[in-house]
Amino acid sequence: MTQLDDMRRAIREADPQLSRFDPLPRIICLDDFDRGMCGYTQLVGNYEITLDQMLPGYAQHTHAMLSTLPNWDFGSHGGVDGSYALKLATRPKRGAQNVTLKRLTFRKAGPIRMECYFTFKPEATELQLMETDVRSFGFLYDLQVGDQFGTGGERVMPHLRFLNARDGKHLQKWQFKRKTTEIKPIGDVGKTISHYHLADSDWEDLPGGEQKLCYNEIPTKINWHYLRFDFDLSTMQATGFQVNDRQFDMAGFDCIRIPAMKNLWCMLNLCFFAETDTDKRTFAYLDSVCLSGDF
Amino acid sequence: MLPENLTAIIARNETWTGASATEPYEGGWAKEAIVFVRALKPPKGKLPKARIEISGDGMHWVPEGSSFDLPAATDAVTFQRVAHFGNFLRVATDLPEGVEITLLVTLHLKA
Repeated sequence: MTQLDDMRRAIREADPQLSRFDPLPRIICLDDFDRGMCGYTQLVGNYEITLDQMLPGYAQHTHAMLSTLPNWDFGSHGGVDGSYALKLATRPKRGAQNVTLKRLTFRKAGPIRMECYFTFKPEATELQLMETDVRSFGFLYDLQVGDQFGTGGERVMPHLRFLNARDGKHLQKWQFKRKTTEIKPIGDVGKTISHYHLADSDWEDLPGGEQKLCYNEIPTKINWHYLRFDFDLSTMQATGFQVNDRQFDMAGFDCIRIPAMKNLWCMLNLCFFAETDTDKRTFAYLDSVCLSGDF
Repeated sequence: MLPENLTAIIARNETWTGASATEPYEGGWAKEAIVFVRALKPPKGKLPKARIEISGDGMHWVPEGSSFDLPAATDAVTFQRVAHFGNFLRVATDLPEGVEITLLVTLHLKA
């Protein structure tokens, strides 16, 4: 630790907004949804000439919203330290997914760290706990090397999801995936392709990734969880993953890797997603997200 | 700080028949909203009016009182202004048998 590191840490720990994060030296963005949408938008699928060409997985996506986590029985829940959180809602159909994302590029291929406070729950349409209605909550990066990388450059998509439940079974484990669906051309001009990398197939259990997360006794109550994911853009490898008090071994983790595309150099997209396992809406919430890098 | 202002696409290329509505959208932070509806394909049959509905919980809905035309031709646009709507908003309509519209519904919220 240098004197600069000590000073930086002291300043950050004295700041209540930053004190609950452990960012790398440079903060790329600190998204607190009490300040609005902070650049998180809807993941729209690719199309050409007509929207009918959009893959069904993307066509179902809707816009995230600013939410006070309002509940019919006790009112607004609020966030960790303010009124609003970013809310992502699926449609009320088994297997429905929704995604919100922020689109950036990186200025140095080095270590980056994503931290967030998240929670999820089903829409409280019944007076039951419904702890197995949410199938999953997860996140991913969509990354690509810079244009000077040379041969062998890749587009790399690390995915992690918390598989909460399936078919009424409360599974509660982290999973990753290294396969995407078939890459399909969109339209006939030859400029656009699409692949639905969030499909509910090809997920693999993260070794040692079972985790019992706190959930409450009725479907309107939530508790916030801390998550941290470390990734090195120079090696395109995950280097750390922590949720609440658990740190997971990432030796068995890998990403979706496909050849670099002609238009995505230095891409740094951060996506969050939710998926329902029953015909009820699943809600995923982000109180805040801190993305930092070592540069 | 400028007041929050958001464009949310709440239905994109959805084909509506029968009782139809957009997904619930939370906008309690906003004082006003405009909904635009654009037809993406030629509608079929005689279109009824659409209505704005509001909800305290996103599950139980009541008509807000505003009703407006649905767009009658491809790329035609209709809209409705709304204010003092509490929290959840949606656009709903009941299309009779044989009536169909494929639409883009956009919600524009302002604090």
